[in-house]
Amino acid sequence: MNPITPIINGMKITFKHMFMKPVTLQYPTERPKVSQRFRGLHGLKVSHSKAKCVACYLCPTVCPAKCITVEAAEDANHDKYAAVYEIDMLRCIFCGYCVEACPVDALKMTGEFELANYHRQDFIYSKERLLEK
Amino acid sequence: MVNVTIDDKQVTAPKTATIYEAAKLNGIKIPILCHDKKLKPFGACRMCLVEVEQMKGRQIPACTTPVTEGMIIRTSTPDIIKARKMVLELLLLNHPLDCPVCDKSGDCDLQNLTYEYKVNTNRFKDEKFHHSIDYNNPLIERDMNRCVLCGKCARICDEIVSFGALTFIDRGIETKIGCEFDDALNCEFCGSCVSVCPVGALLARPFKHKARFWALTKHTSVCGYCGTGCNLTLGVKDNKVLTTIYDENQGFHKGQLCVRGRFGYQFINSAQRLTSPLVRKNGKLMETSWDEALELVAGRLKTGTSVAALATPRLTNEELALFKTLLLENVGTKNFDHSAGFAHSALTEGFTRSFGESASSASILDIQKSDMLLVIKTDAYETHPVVGFEVNMAVKNKGVKLSIISDKRGKLSKLPDATTLVHRPGCEVAVLNAIAKTIIDEKLSVDTAMTVPGYAEIVTALSEFSAEAVAAQSGLTAADIKKLASEYATAEKALIVFPVGQGYAGHNADLASAAANLALLTGKYGKEGCGVLCLSEKNNSQGAVDMGFYAQDGGLNSLQILDACVSGAVKTLFIAGEDPLTSYPDRTKVKAALDAVEFLVVSELFLTETAAMADVVLPACSFAEKEGTFTSTDRRVQFIKPAIRKNAQTKTDFEIFSDLITRLGGQSVATPAEKFTEIAAHTPGYAGLSHITLRKEGAFATAATKPAFVVPNSTPSPAIENGKLALVTGSVLYHNGTLSQYGEGPMHVCPEGYLELSRMDASVYKIADNDLLTVSSAAGSMQLKAKVSSRMPAGVVFAPYHFSSAPINSIWTGSPVTMVTVAK
Ligand code: SF4
Ligand code: SF4
Ligand code: SF4
Ligand code: SF4
Ligand code: SF4
Ligand code: FES
Repeated sequence: MNPITPIINGMKITFKHMFMKPVTLQYPTERPKVSQRFRGLHGLKVSHSKAKCVACYLCPTVCPAKCITVEAAEDANHDKYAAVYEIDMLRCIFCGYCVEACPVDALKMTGEFELANYHRQDFIYSKERLLEK
Repeated sequence: MVNVTIDDKQVTAPKTATIYEAAKLNGIKIPILCHDKKLKPFGACRMCLVEVEQMKGRQIPACTTPVTEGMIIRTSTPDIIKARKMVLELLLLNHPLDCPVCDKSGDCDLQNLTYEYKVNTNRFKDEKFHHSIDYNNPLIERDMNRCVLCGKCARICDEIVSFGALTFIDRGIETKIGCEFDDALNCEFCGSCVSVCPVGALLARPFKHKARFWALTKHTSVCGYCGTGCNLTLGVKDNKVLTTIYDENQGFHKGQLCVRGRFGYQFINSAQRLTSPLVRKNGKLMETSWDEALELVAGRLKTGTSVAALATPRLTNEELALFKTLLLENVGTKNFDHSAGFAHSALTEGFTRSFGESASSASILDIQKSDMLLVIKTDAYETHPVVGFEVNMAVKNKGVKLSIISDKRGKLSKLPDATTLVHRPGCEVAVLNAIAKTIIDEKLSVDTAMTVPGYAEIVTALSEFSAEAVAAQSGLTAADIKKLASEYATAEKALIVFPVGQGYAGHNADLASAAANLALLTGKYGKEGCGVLCLSEKNNSQGAVDMGFYAQDGGLNSLQILDACVSGAVKTLFIAGEDPLTSYPDRTKVKAALDAVEFLVVSELFLTETAAMADVVLPACSFAEKEGTFTSTDRRVQFIKPAIRKNAQTKTDFEIFSDLITRLGGQSVATPAEKFTEIAAHTPGYAGLSHITLRKEGAFATAATKPAFVVPNSTPSPAIENGKLALVTGSVLYHNGTLSQYGEGPMHVCPEGYLELSRMDASVYKIADNDLLTVSSAAGSMQLKAKVSSRMPAGVVFAPYHFSSAPINSIWTGSPVTMVTVAK
């Protein structure tokens, strides 16, 4: 084979891309549009101004990374609620099993992916931080 | 045995078996929902339907149908599966299906069956139930919306607990389980109904929402309260004991527990537990290191004979034996004892002289095998509730005759055909003597009795106890005494049962001998269903006796030790787990002794009143944190292993004693297992036992009998004085010793001391429930709340001893009956 041919073929691709829409996003000025089924940070759904979660412990049970901590309690109406609901984002593998397991559709995964932080402690998301705003 | 064919398998089964039992015996599983092996067959749910060829393939319930010769049974044809599915669909029709918030989830029979039979749609439609939920008591939540009407709760409460709090009410679709007048539940809170409920209709509130069933680690153990020695399973999560779990295959009692065993576990993880050794500095208890504390104690123990010790019989056999070694060999003192001395004297003195062995001559299993039970004090139910269940079942299922001699009526008196002879308090021994005399006079004794040593003496000594004379003294009639005597003597098998404990000063060696005399006269010992069963108070009371942890060979007993503290003969007192300030008679004397003693060491779980007076306090471990053995009242030696890791800053009493032995220059055995090997080698009856064999199953330590008649001293009960009431002390159902004060369950139901008095006295003194009374005796006076009840006879009042907030020993100095005045 002519030693020039592969170079020409390579350059062809390079030139073609010069006229195509760039794939790279100029993050953070440009932001991605995440799809509906993107598995980002968890969100606890709210209904009647309360978290829907009934603290059934199915998500911590199913979680393969064992990063969910739930502590149930009884409120004044004898209803069960999660007094503690925490997810350790350093351990979460974003598999979405928790969402699938939830029997009351109280949990979702949002498009939020910017999870960087300065302290280890800040990766443990408390119920307050997870509540859907 | 009959031959049957189940699912094409030729099997045999006992004649009395039901189809369900026959299948189970042969490893064939038939699903059940309303059946429980402890209860009578009921047949409410129809989950267990099977086909029997001889019945033309009709579907019949396996749990109620007995097997017959040649039966051909099919347990899972497509028709049966269909029928079972429909049963489930109908059950789920009105069921709330709120598994996410239901604590039964994961352990729910309905949930499991629904899953197994893949019932994921429902052909029917109906409204859900709208019953209101009973949150009125702190221990049991009743949500009748989840009930599947299996009736197990009502049946267990009736058949075994014999309380009868629950029953079916209303009819048809409205049927539900309810209490009297459809009111809130108010019962003895044994939790038996909760344990058998197949669904989440009855739940334990102390455990509510604490954890999911599948997240618990299950640890088998032995109850740390009374001498019944019930086996239990602790549910542990994150190193905390969160609940007790029902296991119908555990122990002679098949998983049954009383309120203390089931709901009283919270002391284990109590925030009040001591977590650091304390040393008194400048008059104040300050935290310190183990090394400093133990060095201080070891230094004091070197003083030898001026050292004395009191231990609680809640310690393991190994700990008690090691403590004894420490005291005898390394310290050089014989002054040690437990349980105020009198609480074990029935065994150590009474049975030793009457039967030649410091143990009961019968076991709990004899109760149901007997023909007649003679119970001394109705309190036997309150002190040992699960033994009480055995009595209930004996009387109700086996038709065993129950006679009670007591100073008050009680729950046992309510059993069918039970006779209760209510005598003036303090006359127990006299009444037993009168029965013995009647047996001799009416020639109801067996011939062999005359060959038993002491026969001649007993005949002469009993001459003054004619039925008539005792009747006059005790308030009974001579006819009743004679009738009881002849019933006891003529019964084929008869068993005498009496409780002992720190609240029962009158249940001493004399009472034991008086009871033993009856058994010896009529030859009712050493046989199945016969003998005398002394119910020892604490979980290891019998073990403490077997280990010889009481005053012998001239050592001082508990009460003498306290005297010696005052006189200065005892300068160092080591108290392991006892709280004498609350539980020993005569608080003033105990206080004076603890004040006077130069150096007081207390090893405890909690900073009790006694511990608060100590110079050194050592934080010890509960039964859930250690390894060892407990010996139950009928000498079942049972192994316990740690269910949770102990707090790093606490030590088991075994470690404490072993460390002290080393500090005193001795050499201690390394592990409880090694100590037990020593115990097995030296303790009569324990030969051949070892931790390894006991790990699997407890074993009975054998008891030999060398009978002899002994003349019991009968102290006349105090004269009735005008305007005074006779106070008897004892235990209340919800508590055992002073430990249960730290169990939330018991404290929810019975939080404080009280004075129980008869309606007659209440109306004389114009007292109503919960009135605050000033109760005074010669020893002092104190305030107690009134509880008016129908079981007390006029002139007699009862007070439990467990509470340090209302220490009954402020007015009680250790006599079986105390005369008191009561004022509002
Ligand atoms: S599965 Fe759903 S309801 Fe259950 S604990 Fe998780 S978020 Fe809460
Ligand atoms: S009783 Fe069983 S089936 Fe019913 S809600 Fe509770 S766990 Fe679910
Ligand atoms: S707790 Fe015991 S006494 Fe009370 S209703 Fe249940 S079984 Fe009966
Ligand atoms: S409450 Fe429980 S045990 Fe009682 S009938 Fe209902 S389902 Fe059965
Ligand atoms: S307190 Fe006694 S009767 Fe009750 S569960 Fe414990 S050992 Fe059994
Ligand atoms: S288990 Fe047989 S009818 Fe319920």
